[in-house]
Amino acid sequence: MKRREFFKTAAVTAGAAALGGTAAEAGVTHQPVDNRKVGNIAFPEKRPLITYSDRPPLLETPREVFTCALTPNDQFFVRWHMPDIPTYIDTDKFTININGMVKKELKITLKELKEDFEQVEVAAVLQCGGNSRSAFEPTAGGIQWGSGAMGCALWKGVRLRDILDRAGIKKGAEWLAVQGSEKAAYYETPNFIRELHLDELDDHVIIAYQMNGEDLPYLNGFPVRLVIPGVYSDSWIKMITNITVTDKYKKLFFMDHAYVVPDNECECETPEKKFPKTKPIYRMNVKSVIGYPTNGAKLTLKSQAVVRGVAFDGGAGIREVQISLDGGKTWDKAILDSGKLGRYAYRTFRYGFKPNKLGKLEIMAKAINKLGEEQPLSKDIKWNHGGYKYNGIDVVTVEVV
Amino acid sequence: MKAMKKVLLTALIAATPMMAQVKEKIEVPYIAFPIKMGKGFDVVQANCLMCHSFGYIINQGRQSKKFWAGKVDKMIVHFKAPITDKDRKVIIDYLFKHYGNGKEQ
Repeated sequence: MKRREFFKTAAVTAGAAALGGTAAEAGVTHQPVDNRKVGNIAFPEKRPLITYSDRPPLLETPREVFTCALTPNDQFFVRWHMPDIPTYIDTDKFTININGMVKKELKITLKELKEDFEQVEVAAVLQCGGNSRSAFEPTAGGIQWGSGAMGCALWKGVRLRDILDRAGIKKGAEWLAVQGSEKAAYYETPNFIRELHLDELDDHVIIAYQMNGEDLPYLNGFPVRLVIPGVYSDSWIKMITNITVTDKYKKLFFMDHAYVVPDNECECETPEKKFPKTKPIYRMNVKSVIGYPTNGAKLTLKSQAVVRGVAFDGGAGIREVQISLDGGKTWDKAILDSGKLGRYAYRTFRYGFKPNKLGKLEIMAKAINKLGEEQPLSKDIKWNHGGYKYNGIDVVTVEVV
Repeated sequence: MKAMKKVLLTALIAATPMMAQVKEKIEVPYIAFPIKMGKGFDVVQANCLMCHSFGYIINQGRQSKKFWAGKVDKMIVHFKAPITDKDRKVIIDYLFKHYGNGKEQ
């Protein structure tokens, strides 16, 4: 059995995503795995989601959620790295500490964050760099996510720039090291820290305490997390406790070893010959996901069918989403929403059509951004060892009855 | 009067502190992942579960011996897991036997 077929028929047990894979079809990227069911156990503040791990929690959002511009908090994906995540935060005592090369060290309480600074909002997509990793062949190392390690929310908080201005950055400072509260089992394990160059700080980079009008869910980084619109989620540090301003870049495991792609034009390599130089994943590429219909859905012949989904990129903005019903021979424009949530958010799309032939029908969606960059066919996406940045044209197969 | 009540209620909700949802410790549920039993499982359990669930193992896809050796070495080198040389070999053999793709490389 081909690996892809194995995945298609693989059963899911006890809330765990199933294992796939036998003979590899070398080098041909395909559609991500899409047959996984949500578990039967709900995690705190969540509905049951596709469950890969409980410690640390790894939860994926099912495809059908990707018809709305804002992903509900209780269906928003979850990804932590360390086993020891604080399960209680004293909101009166919690502080965000700003130190290092600053004129005045700060310990900002949640109350101060909400009252002493200008409050801003930004709608932005949060996507794991390994989202859709299960598309790669041979299997790339890491959790074999389907297409649901992503979500879009309206984040409310305070500009990181405003906080740093309050502390006063000393001359010669260039870098910020942002650290969250998750801890490893062993003292020697590297902490999950993200370094940001001060030049990366535009007005959209915020420390957020609210998501879609509610407190951040615990599993999404309560009480505060970093929001860097347009950038992959490994940079969006959760449960921020400390920000240190420095003049030197310190090599870090997660940035310089884990979340990296080959530093060449195609960001690609082969399993036999890995590219020696790597770079951290950073800005997201253009992508779309069909939320409805889902694989295996039945549409009625000559009915008014509608395709719905979401499209986004790293902040240039979506120009167009196109739909093909003939295997990519012809493409037709879908209708986009107003875009009022801004260039970092999902643009929802819809496309109406009448199925005119019985049997299997492939629905393909392709997003094009304002720079003219468009999604490639999945088979044209080249392999990288971490299975990062998959953005193939999404394909859903339905049956017309 | 009815309208008045509604206004009052709305005002009350608006005044409730936003931080209402986590007043106590949250409980993350335990999931029993269907890990395969076999030779070396006790060693896997003793070494791997310290940091992550079996979900991490069963959700990597079927992989070569080299891949699994690389994963175990990553835990030792980068994550500083105190895995002995003897246990390292037992763990790799277990992973490859139950979650391998039959290929050495």
